[in-house]
Amino acid sequence: MTTFIDYLLGGLGSGAIIALMALALVLIWRSTRVVNFAQVGQAMFTTFIALSIQTWTGSWYVALIGALAAGAVLGVIVQYLVLRPVKRSDTSGAIIATFGVLIALQAAAGMIWPGGSQAFPQPFNNSGIEFAGRVWPISIYDFVVIGITALLVLGLTLLFTKTSLGLSMRAAAFNPEVARLSGVRVSRVLTFGWALAGSVGAVAGVLVAPVSTISPNSFDILLVFAFVAAVIGGLDSLIGAISIGVFTGLVISLVSGYSDSGNAPVVALLLLALNLILKPEGIFSHHKARSV
Amino acid sequence: MVNLLRLPGARFLSHLAIVFVIWAALMRINDGIDPLMSYYLALAAMYATAMFGMVILVGLSGQVSLGNGALMAIGGYVFALTSLNWQTVPILGWQWNPIWSMIFAGFGGIAVGLLIGWIGARLRGPYLAGLTLGIAVGIPAIATRFPEIFGGETGLMLTVPYPAGGYAPAAETVTIDEAPLAEVPLEQAPLDEVPLEQAPLEQAPLDTETAGAGDMLTADNFPSAESSPAAGDMLTADNFPSAESSPSALALPSESALPNDIDPTAAGDALLAGSAFVLERWQASLAVTAACIIGFFALNLVRGRQGRIWRAVRDDEVAAAVSGISPAGSKISAFVVSSFFAAIAGAVFAQILSYVGPGAFGLGLSLSLLVGVVLGGRASLGGAIIGGVLLVALPQLVFNIAGDRGWPANVTDNAPNLVYGLLVVLVVLIAPGGILGSLKDGTRRLLAKSRSAK
Repeated sequence: MTTFIDYLLGGLGSGAIIALMALALVLIWRSTRVVNFAQVGQAMFTTFIALSIQTWTGSWYVALIGALAAGAVLGVIVQYLVLRPVKRSDTSGAIIATFGVLIALQAAAGMIWPGGSQAFPQPFNNSGIEFAGRVWPISIYDFVVIGITALLVLGLTLLFTKTSLGLSMRAAAFNPEVARLSGVRVSRVLTFGWALAGSVGAVAGVLVAPVSTISPNSFDILLVFAFVAAVIGGLDSLIGAISIGVFTGLVISLVSGYSDSGNAPVVALLLLALNLILKPEGIFSHHKARSV
Repeated sequence: MVNLLRLPGARFLSHLAIVFVIWAALMRINDGIDPLMSYYLALAAMYATAMFGMVILVGLSGQVSLGNGALMAIGGYVFALTSLNWQTVPILGWQWNPIWSMIFAGFGGIAVGLLIGWIGARLRGPYLAGLTLGIAVGIPAIATRFPEIFGGETGLMLTVPYPAGGYAPAAETVTIDEAPLAEVPLEQAPLDEVPLEQAPLEQAPLDTETAGAGDMLTADNFPSAESSPAAGDMLTADNFPSAESSPSALALPSESALPNDIDPTAAGDALLAGSAFVLERWQASLAVTAACIIGFFALNLVRGRQGRIWRAVRDDEVAAAVSGISPAGSKISAFVVSSFFAAIAGAVFAQILSYVGPGAFGLGLSLSLLVGVVLGGRASLGGAIIGGVLLVALPQLVFNIAGDRGWPANVTDNAPNLVYGLLVVLVVLIAPGGILGSLKDGTRRLLAKSRSAK
């Protein structure tokens, strides 16, 4: 039982990171009905930028803020140059274009930051906390990750429920035509959504980098986990993305603990398949994923 | 002419003729080029085989899939496992032959395609893309999880059983007994000696062909003199490009590597006593033949009733359902067909590499297939062929340019992918039909202009 609890605790940090990445996917899906498969590419790119800032200034906080800003800028660039010009009727085209961006970003990162996998310096102590006579499988850094995730979620909730910008964003996502008629500048609001998602993804990247390594392809598996979480959560529910994201992290930790971390992608795939067979619209959503 | 085409079976026969002419031309070209080019030809044909399935799945049926690289892995692993473990075909007890492994690889693809199609084909775009992305990552992970069966991270080495007679270009026969060119070497070298390996595959087009367009296969279509000295020289294993991992190294001109005349001892080294066996050439003939047979299937499907069904469902599911078509059935069938094609391509890939492993069939391969089919043109089978050529030629082109400019390795290695990524975005934005679609549009516009000018 203690090992079970240990595995659960050990999965909280990675669960928070998966939740953030899933949140970034959901933010964009809600507003533009596009799953941005380039999201992890953007996050990888901004994490490399953060690494450069970190080695240059020596401050993790500056690196985090730099990644936030870079993420927003990159999100806007991708939306402006790639997704906005795609014809709305060409749904396959939008998906394919995001993969094009992913491939290009990974290649560009390989050119700019050569040398394969690189270690990201540990900003906080990442060894287990000693408490009540034993070492727990959760570190100060995990608490920082969970704290930052909680702060972001709180901020987003306030944004969507308490501000007029949040209201316009919801209106534009719900019905762009009506929103436009009621004076919402839909395209501007959409662009803001991309910037927001870019920042959230960038934070996820900076948070995951110290506990793994960073290379152009190192976030691919995070994309799979985040997508699984976002879809099971309903793809347009923020709460769904967060809760299922954390849940996915816990499941992966359990699978890795009891068997082998190599099984994690397979289990994630099984979860996704099961969800798509039983409840394809996701747990927290009511819209239809199946068309027939 | 119009009436002729309406005769029952006329379209079938015309497809047969088209594919056969392409096959014959490629086989002839294969005999005339140097082994490195043959190797590239083999890769391009293998990519095209898989991408015929992508055209059907992505272009015709409108389902974006990233899992076809993993489906190729299914075909590759089934081929590897059956050819490593079987002496005879189970139950039937027949003597094992690589062709059985190819067939079983195809069945494996069909089975997995049914499963994925059943889960995925009722899903809309992004859900499906995500599911297949998971498959692209998950299936190679399964291979690493069971190292005792699948060889783990290192994969399985294959000793591909080459045809006993070898793939002997006509040169060898000519030098030995100076047989009249018209008789032995012409027809037999490419047609009869290769098929030891792939007899049923080869005969499918050939037998039926004799009725239809058999005349195309005149004796002088086949290589004789030109495949002589230069062709025979590259038999040794050290020339064999092991994997595509180091394409820049492959790009080096290899003609000067070996003496230019037939060396009987070298020939003896090449697994086969006395015959001028060129591994790359044999691989290319295998890949081209497989591509042509799959292409023939694809052509009949795409231009027939099933193709219309796929397009109808893609364009308007409700309207299609009202006309009595089952949208789910149509999407699942597209999945099954494309995974069958992918599995055959995977089996060919395994034979080209003499190896299967999770690294060879990773997410990168799946993405390459998507890139190739989008750039070539996702709406028609020709796009798959263009895509196959592009996937092989474009990296070489970029490497050559990078080599000339003396770019550092990290830039050079990533340059092809950067070009791919940017091109994919550009094609989606500017020319959704890909290269082939743009060519078609261009000629149509030119024709319209010239007509209105009159």
